[in-house]
Amino acid sequence: MLNNPYINVLIVAVLTVVFIISTSYGLGFLARAITRARGATPKQQESAFAGYFFAAPWIVGFVIFVIVPLSFSLYWSFTDYRIASGEPAAWKGIENYREIIFHDLGFRASLVNTLYLTVIGLPLQMGVALFLAVLLNQKMKGERLFRMAFYLPVILGFNTAVLLCWRLMLNTGTGIVNQIIRAISASVPPFGVLSRALILVQEVVTAFFLGMNTGKYNLLTKVLEAGFPADNRVPLWVQSPLWTKMSVILLMVWGCGTMMLIFLAGLNNIPKELHEAAEVDGATGWQKFWKISFPLLTPYIFYNLVVGLIGSLQIFEPIFVLYRDNEPIVSSTISMVYYLWETSFSHFEIGYGSAISWVILVIILIFTLLQFRLQDRWVTYDVY
Amino acid sequence: MNTLYGKNLADMDPYLGAGAWSEISNFGPALENAKFEGKLRGLPIFTAPRYVFCRSDLAKGALPPKNFADWIAFAKANTVIDPATNSLTQQALHPVDAATMADWQWWLLVFYSLGGELYKADGSPNFDSPEALATTQFLLDMRQATYGPASDAVGALPAGQGSVIDVDDATGKDNGVVCLAHSGWAAPAFDRPVWENVSIEPFYGDPANFPNSKPVVLAFNDWLAVADYSPNKELAADWLKLAFSKEGNNKWNETMGLIPARNDSQFGYVTESPQLQREAELAAEYGVGFAGIKEAAKLSTIMQDALGKLVTEELTPEEVNQTSQEQYAAALAE
Repeated sequence: MLNNPYINVLIVAVLTVVFIISTSYGLGFLARAITRARGATPKQQESAFAGYFFAAPWIVGFVIFVIVPLSFSLYWSFTDYRIASGEPAAWKGIENYREIIFHDLGFRASLVNTLYLTVIGLPLQMGVALFLAVLLNQKMKGERLFRMAFYLPVILGFNTAVLLCWRLMLNTGTGIVNQIIRAISASVPPFGVLSRALILVQEVVTAFFLGMNTGKYNLLTKVLEAGFPADNRVPLWVQSPLWTKMSVILLMVWGCGTMMLIFLAGLNNIPKELHEAAEVDGATGWQKFWKISFPLLTPYIFYNLVVGLIGSLQIFEPIFVLYRDNEPIVSSTISMVYYLWETSFSHFEIGYGSAISWVILVIILIFTLLQFRLQDRWVTYDVY
Repeated sequence: MNTLYGKNLADMDPYLGAGAWSEISNFGPALENAKFEGKLRGLPIFTAPRYVFCRSDLAKGALPPKNFADWIAFAKANTVIDPATNSLTQQALHPVDAATMADWQWWLLVFYSLGGELYKADGSPNFDSPEALATTQFLLDMRQATYGPASDAVGALPAGQGSVIDVDDATGKDNGVVCLAHSGWAAPAFDRPVWENVSIEPFYGDPANFPNSKPVVLAFNDWLAVADYSPNKELAADWLKLAFSKEGNNKWNETMGLIPARNDSQFGYVTESPQLQREAELAAEYGVGFAGIKEAAKLSTIMQDALGKLVTEELTPEEVNQTSQEQYAAALAE
């Protein structure tokens, strides 16, 4: 290669185009040869050529960017391979997997944290999405504006600017979230009591989960010893290990716009006659929702559950941006994918990181298959 | 498993050493921190020493505190908690991480000030030394002198405009920190009026209990190195020479108000700023270098993980050090 980097880039670009064209022709010719060998007519052979020729860029891209990395990742997962060392990967057999599953306390902690986010965060996220969808399904002025407003977080995504705004909003003393809690608690005292009761419950549950990570439950003991929170207690959102996961859940709930849209589509698909008939029979609004809308929404709930579960088991960005610069407490909320990132790109242990990624894949696969197996018990497709 | 930074970096002596590049003689002592096993691996960009910046107009008591007991008393006297919000409105000391007050960089600074060394003579970690235990205990004591026990659940300071020891122009109120233990980039801009009341000092350790204590300015060096697997080390060296030219090194650091690693790049904003002059003097007198080149990539993760559990009292100081010792020894051994 020449020593001019600009010319190198140009050469690489030209070679890439040549490669794509030649592989497209290659794949097309291969398809034609195979169909010819199978005794297809000349027209069928041409169709096969054209089909594979035009699909070839995607197929080649898929092979290069998905299948090949996947294969390397699978191979590396059985090796000790550190990308920065410059040494070749050393075969270790199933040692990495044994370490992850039986000995790695860090991975165990990340698994517990991820399950916390999934078990508590996902139902909350779906509940709020469904609630908003039902609200927005009412005919009212400015309906589209509200829909846009609730979908906006999905467009904004978990980018750095948004998450930094959340850090400010979640500040214990002056953040708007705690200001609102304080204001309502001051004007409606029962809300204050309820809020502090929720703080206690949340902290007990989280202390229990944190105890599972370390095998020591002295934090749980201390939370219980402290008793019912004082009048001026508010959540310590991004400041305390007892609240780090709940802050992430808050962000998950905030980003429920896609789920909301799917529920809205589901609500719109429910035949109006069913609700009209129920009205004639004297059904209340709640009865109409619970007896008609909810059962017919189960396919949509199932879809959101599957996609949401996969998403929450792979959660990374909110944790990375909210806590990376606040590192002493980040271990209280590290997810499996964050742990994978840390192992691979902070500790440069690609072999071990690859094994973690395959373990995560298997975990996600098990949960997803379980859901598909269980769907017969509660998902109804009767009217569809 | 473990990845040591240093051993994965290319020997750049043939490209950047004295025989190959005459300008290398312009680099100051920071150059030593870019070496591993005696070989130059890259070039240092800047020196970012951790000083103790204190607001004399806000502080109650003598400045600066010169031993651990004074610091604890200072923290108690200079921290204000608003009972209405159960949150800090004034924080006596803000180390790198204000909320936990127990990040690994702060730990290292305190540890070195007691005369501690990160490694024993045999290369094993030194978290089981008396200096290490005293450091961890001090971090916990300072945290509790500021926030109280973890069960008090006191909120951290709100984020203000500008440096935490500066005054917010929009409100005219102080941002709430009395002393800041951090590098210069967390301090106010050099032209801010607040500097009239800001002192810059090293951290003095605890001479009463540790005779080897010494004032320390922990100088973190950031450096750019070349990976050993790089196929074109000469081209990488050419780029480093360009980026680390006299003017380049000066400009690079000007935006962050840091001290250029090249001695001849220390002109312009460096010589015009009395703050940087003071910082440079302190760094020269009390500087202890740390660049991480000899450390395992896991060091900060191991320390942060253990120190995070110190704050919530999940682990005692003894357990924090024991965990760090075991895990880092394992990382180094592998």
